[in-house]
Amino acid sequence: MRSELSAWNYVRNNKRSSGTLIMALALVFVAMYLISMLLLTTTESFLPVVREMPKKLAYLSVSAKSLGVTVKEGDTEEELQAEYENKRNELIEKLKKVPGIENAYYTQIIVCLYQSVMGQIVYENPLIAADDVPRFLKHVEAELVEGSLPAADGEVLVDRTIMKNRGYRIGGYFMEEAYGKTFRICGVISSPGMVCVGTPMGYTNSGWYIVTEKEETVRDMTAVLNDLGIVTGDADKVIDTVDYETLFERDFEGVFGKILKVIYLVVMVFLAFTVLIAYIAHMRGRMNEYCLYMSIGYGRSAVYGMMMREMLIIFGGGAIIGLVVALSGGALMQHLLIEARGLSCRVIMPEQIFYILASYCFIIGILQIPVVLSINTVRTIDAIEE
Amino acid sequence: MFEVKRISMIYDMETEEKLYALKGFDLSLPDKGLIGIIGPSGSGKSTLMYCLSTLKKPTDGSILYNGMELTTASDAEREKLRRREFGFVFQKHYLVPYMSAVDNVMVAGIGKEADTEKKAKDILEELGIKEREFSKKPAKLSGGQCQRIAIARAVINDPKVIFADEPTASLDHENAFNVMKILKAYSEDRLVLVVTHDKSILKGSDRVIEMWDGEINMAGGEER
Repeated sequence: MRSELSAWNYVRNNKRSSGTLIMALALVFVAMYLISMLLLTTTESFLPVVREMPKKLAYLSVSAKSLGVTVKEGDTEEELQAEYENKRNELIEKLKKVPGIENAYYTQIIVCLYQSVMGQIVYENPLIAADDVPRFLKHVEAELVEGSLPAADGEVLVDRTIMKNRGYRIGGYFMEEAYGKTFRICGVISSPGMVCVGTPMGYTNSGWYIVTEKEETVRDMTAVLNDLGIVTGDADKVIDTVDYETLFERDFEGVFGKILKVIYLVVMVFLAFTVLIAYIAHMRGRMNEYCLYMSIGYGRSAVYGMMMREMLIIFGGGAIIGLVVALSGGALMQHLLIEARGLSCRVIMPEQIFYILASYCFIIGILQIPVVLSINTVRTIDAIEE
Repeated sequence: MFEVKRISMIYDMETEEKLYALKGFDLSLPDKGLIGIIGPSGSGKSTLMYCLSTLKKPTDGSILYNGMELTTASDAEREKLRRREFGFVFQKHYLVPYMSAVDNVMVAGIGKEADTEKKAKDILEELGIKEREFSKKPAKLSGGQCQRIAIARAVINDPKVIFADEPTASLDHENAFNVMKILKAYSEDRLVLVVTHDKSILKGSDRVIEMWDGEINMAGGEER
């Protein structure tokens, strides 16, 4: 004996209302997915800077105090400066002997601004002698893709992602808003860590650092300094793998993760409330139908099963259409909006798909309340007729 | 087929003024034939039909259906009876508004979908519903057509008993006559119970049970 009520009957015969619900759910899916994609573009795009670049480079600014320069009575400023330089050079020599550190030198840096959809990152890049540039490029695994290497003072090689992101062109000026017309872009390079490098041109206000060209194994430069007898303090600055990891987890993954959770929560609550209201009205409108089924011998479980299958068809339809549109829209957005701005993102994000589907399941769970309540109030037709 | 003993039905049990819909009478019904139950509003005729069809449980008494005690049957057993052995035609047709005529008949079917569809179409044709009407929804059909579809839904599983509660109440005279003709034909080898307050539609019935104030009015009862 057939004991199931067909769920397709309702969906097939109520294309407009079912379709509206399916499309609404699909739109929510698409909106949640694309918002996630946009927000995660920031973390995805910054990954080369925060994960790849620190594998090859670290920047140290160690104060005179930490280097052990002590002020004695009668010392002139020049004497103190000379002692500071001596201690710093001693440190550089010691650093060069640390396994995993290939080179260390004291130099000026220039900063590079990388702008995402939400947020930006500013990172350090060394100014070195033109003759050292090929060696530096080899160390950071960069290759020249356009233009030429710096041949004069104040010339910069800029990563091609930054070129796209900032709308630079060869011959234009690098970070004009910070340095004016000082650093002319002479070439475009491509490297895993989006590194830029230039030749010095007078004084920049971005500071001097001990730049260490290192291997990936050397992650914690504070520990390296400690091993060399230097205890770092508040006046010192260490920009290394550990520093970038902290920055990334705290300022990017942490912040955007929280924003995403809030968005999911708000959308989920709003959607659950809206669907709940719509579903209660929908069930009230079909009460006579449910009564008929009960009267002609279908049990409550059969009616509940039909309601659940209808719900699953509608939510499943919404999820499938939403997924297809979200992936297509995502690919289009990636091509037209994200990559064109020198940013990167993932079109397929399994964890986001999982979160959205989990939200759907949560809403289906919430809908059990009116479904179970109405199933228990369904009577047979005799109750209506009386 | 039905053996009813001292059946009583009391509404508002918890209140002081109890309402006796059925007042403890006996009744025996055969395996076939068209049986009319008539009486004014509130006489208990519909309550009797609902008790016989397992839609309601009487407060007291016994209803035997082919030897099975209906008053103590489980919900599942009652549902099974309603699905397999009973057919229902209600005062309003209670067709599902979004389903086509065929789907409305098929919804009660217990067989395989293809077989049920063929059978539903055959029955609809027998009941005078034209093929072009099969795909129409109730809103596009006349009252008479809707009631005939409701009858088709009631007979799709070849039930042993058809319970018809005021099946002609919302129909004009011609349609009422046609519906009764269909039910009469079905009662040749099955039991058809028709509850009505309109005696004129029971002209061809095999027996008329007249009810008054929760009791069978033996004087008014009529055996043919």
